[in-house]
Amino acid sequence: MAQATRVQRQNLANGLALLIPALLFGFLVSAQWQTQLERSQLAVRYNAPLTEAARSLQDEQNTLKAQLADLRKQLDKIQANASTQTDATRSLQARIDDLKARAGLTAVTGDGVLIALDDAKQTTVNAKDVDKSICHATDLTDIVNTAWRGGAQAVAINNERIVGTSSVYCVGSTIMVNGTLMSPPFQIVVIGRQDQLLGAFEDPAQLRDIKQRSEVHGLGFRVSRATQLRAPEYSGALNVRAAQPK
Amino acid sequence: MRTSGGGIAVAAVALLLGVLAVSQFRSQDVYSRSLQLETPSSLTTLIASLADKNRDLRDEIFDLRLRVTAASGSVSTGQFSLTEGERQLSQLRVFAAQDVIVGQGITVTVDGPFDEKAMSDLVNELRNAGAEGIAINDRRVGPRSWFAPGTQGAIALDGARVAGPWTIRAIGPSDVIFVAITRTGGIVGQFELIYRSTRFRVVKESALELPPLR
Repeated sequence: MAQATRVQRQNLANGLALLIPALLFGFLVSAQWQTQLERSQLAVRYNAPLTEAARSLQDEQNTLKAQLADLRKQLDKIQANASTQTDATRSLQARIDDLKARAGLTAVTGDGVLIALDDAKQTTVNAKDVDKSICHATDLTDIVNTAWRGGAQAVAINNERIVGTSSVYCVGSTIMVNGTLMSPPFQIVVIGRQDQLLGAFEDPAQLRDIKQRSEVHGLGFRVSRATQLRAPEYSGALNVRAAQPK
Repeated sequence: MRTSGGGIAVAAVALLLGVLAVSQFRSQDVYSRSLQLETPSSLTTLIASLADKNRDLRDEIFDLRLRVTAASGSVSTGQFSLTEGERQLSQLRVFAAQDVIVGQGITVTVDGPFDEKAMSDLVNELRNAGAEGIAINDRRVGPRSWFAPGTQGAIALDGARVAGPWTIRAIGPSDVIFVAITRTGGIVGQFELIYRSTRFRVVKESALELPPLR
């Protein structure tokens, strides 16, 4: 009996002696292999300055947008004061105001729906399914398309107003809207008739891929009624250079 | 030291656990979406895009400063107000897609099976490359335009059927747009791999005319 217990203890000690080095070895092999896959020598050397450059340019963009908004306000004020002078200037100003509203150059407030889109939070996602559990630029374009289809009057993604020249662009895993760096979570403000908008978003034929990934892979996607929403005015450059009215 | 079968099994499981633990830890890294995780190549592309947008903003700020200065000094005459107003109106008519516009650009011809999601992606890519106005066949794409499947292989644009072959015309800097969409790995190259029986043709145009939004 005592002999049997000694053998059992010896086996356990042997197992434990192997356990820790094996666990450590597994960590090291896997970490080294994945590090080599994901981060080349170039990444190690250049990522810090490149990341800093990108952040600095984004900061500069925020400052430039604020300056542009201020100048637009100044010009609008001068123009509005001058427009009271004659019928011609009054009529011109009315047409300008109408076009600005149509183009997304004025802020809009009202009821509508709020859409939350986020990467999955669960930690049990397999590496091969990561792609299905994170937000992509095409998810945002699909949501915007559904919003317009549902009769939206104004749409904004994380406070970036969607206008006729807006694009949603993806580089690596970073998303840009109107040329502005963004990362999840995304909050999409959609202003318009709530029933009509909800009908569009709840239509099973719409956003099938997002809804399926939300159910199966934990992608965060929620559409809810909301009141007193605000879609800010477009704050980017108008960039009308090549095109001329005929 | 004697080694038993049980000990080897424990070691093998521990090795596997070590590998799995690191894999799981790494997969969670993806969620942080930190810029530091991007490759130098992606970061360079992001920087180029940000620099382009900032240049556009600086150009417009420079232009607006001149206009504000001129406006401040000549409001009393009334003449400036009309001139400035007409200038704004001209710019807005293009931006709001309310009028016929002309200018240089590109034409993309799509002949064969295609769908509304791909068309939406193409429009998004053209806008990203700097398109100032876009039309598909004879219909203008506007600020609130949407795409849906059409009947018999067609596409619906703002609820109207637009059948293939499709001619997508985009006014904007033709050289820039052409390079952006035809580059290796660009959207046209991707379409050619996905829609193998469809023919795509991209041509630079010195003069295009687009209809207004209906």
